[in-house]
Amino acid sequence: MKQDFKPNIVGFLCNWCSYAGADLAGSSKLEIKPYLSVIRVMCSSRVNSNLVLNAFLWGADGVLIAGCHPGDCHYEKGNYYVRRRFALLKKILETLDLEPDRLQLSWISASEGKRYAEVVNKFAEDITRLGPSAFHTNPNI
Amino acid sequence: MTATQIDSNKMPTKGAIIPAEEEINKTIVDIFKKSLEKKCFDAILIPVRVPETEAYAWVLLKDQSLLDEANPLPPIISVQGAKALRSLTKRGKMTQNIAAILRPCEIRAAVELSKLKQIHLDNISLISIDCPGAMPLSDYLADPEKSKKIYKNVLEKWGEDDSVRPVCHICNRFSLPSLLHRKSVKISPVEQDEAKMPSIDLHIGLLGGNQEKIFLIPVNPKGREILEKLELKSDDSLDLWQTKVSEVQEKKEKIRKEFNLELKEKIEGQKKLTAVFDECINCHNCMRVCPICYCQQCFFDSDSLTLSPETYISRAEKKGALRFPLDTMLFHLGRMSHMVLSCVSCGVCEDACPMSIPVAQIFSLVADQTQKSFDYTPGINKEEPLPLQDFLEDEFHEVETPSEAMTPEEVN
Repeated sequence: MKQDFKPNIVGFLCNWCSYAGADLAGSSKLEIKPYLSVIRVMCSSRVNSNLVLNAFLWGADGVLIAGCHPGDCHYEKGNYYVRRRFALLKKILETLDLEPDRLQLSWISASEGKRYAEVVNKFAEDITRLGPSAFHTNPNI
Repeated sequence: MTATQIDSNKMPTKGAIIPAEEEINKTIVDIFKKSLEKKCFDAILIPVRVPETEAYAWVLLKDQSLLDEANPLPPIISVQGAKALRSLTKRGKMTQNIAAILRPCEIRAAVELSKLKQIHLDNISLISIDCPGAMPLSDYLADPEKSKKIYKNVLEKWGEDDSVRPVCHICNRFSLPSLLHRKSVKISPVEQDEAKMPSIDLHIGLLGGNQEKIFLIPVNPKGREILEKLELKSDDSLDLWQTKVSEVQEKKEKIRKEFNLELKEKIEGQKKLTAVFDECINCHNCMRVCPICYCQQCFFDSDSLTLSPETYISRAEKKGALRFPLDTMLFHLGRMSHMVLSCVSCGVCEDACPMSIPVAQIFSLVADQTQKSFDYTPGINKEEPLPLQDFLEDEFHEVETPSEAMTPEEVN
């Protein structure tokens, strides 16, 4: 059954780097698994815990946040803030044992089309292995 | 070494020992009467028993005679002290000198609120007290007379009587000066010394006093000045207090560890956690009474989460069914992600929960883990920045995938 499972992954991509990286991956005709629904954000630090939690509670099997490499933020320090916020959310999920592996933070620059394809494919593989998120199937949430 | 571990060499060593002639409470109240007389403070914020009822309220008073009904350590926390202090100074700093006598968790919440720009601590002397915990509101209201007797026993036995609230029973931050000198503060070395300075002026030590005496412990120059004005010498040795604090601390750490392991077992995982929060009736009382939840309008009370009817139908179809009220889990996890780094485990959320959900215990457990990962103990020092308003360039690489330290990026 697991082989038929097509995960639902939400990807928050930074407008200035990862989104362009995705674009480059596409125009370079790299093979990318089609499970990622991309949401473009102006900075990875635009992503807050509510967006991530909402995505999970409403049916995402995985959430990817991708932004510029530390030091390269278009707004200078947005990605440093999101890294802390992400570390907090990850720790909360870890403590409550709510499948923290379904949440990922990656740095992908505009020139890293190949890296984008690798990160997305690897994450899609990991999520496929994990199977559907329990949140998504529990009508009580 | 974790942030909360005691370094007894760095605890204050000198203070004033005051013999308690009658009840401890009266001895403390007498000191504050004298402090008003000697003009140490212009007014005092302290819990006072409301006449002809069993309730306690925060009262800002200038009149010494009103202090007769005051109780610095009431058996319950009705309103979190930091909330009272917030209403007092939200519009600006105090123009007169105020002393606020608060429990350790209340002081720590007040310090967190000052970082969040909700409290002005200028001209306010924070005075903390060794706290054995508070009783559950519902237990107290069911039989106030009996509860008062039980609470006396709680005060005498320190940590052995578990009629206090669960979060109090496992509280390892019952004596503030033991927390004041943190081992590592993640800020620049120049600011280190300053950031280690306590944000309280005076501490009232009850531990080790055997109900026969209390310790007045000045924590900074301002505290020593207050003792001078009270004509008290502050060169008595605090050995008795220190030993007892360390002893109780050790005991509490052990209880806490065991308790949290058991709790984890009960709430861990999506299924169990859902079952716990299934009882939630969405009243949001926990958020309203929380001292750290200061937002005028909570995001989870706003309309931003409501969607069109069609969306709900389609989601119900996908999931098989849809539970209403919606977003219960989102509310708790979301609120947690908003405030847990500042959570002081005061337990008022649990007291306010009509369904007796162990909110405070769950939040306290998560607070423990998350605060540890940020090496942050909330409410110790007002100069220490909030973790989410601060960052280091080289940190938390373990949350990045693929994990990488700062290396020049590879361009392909």
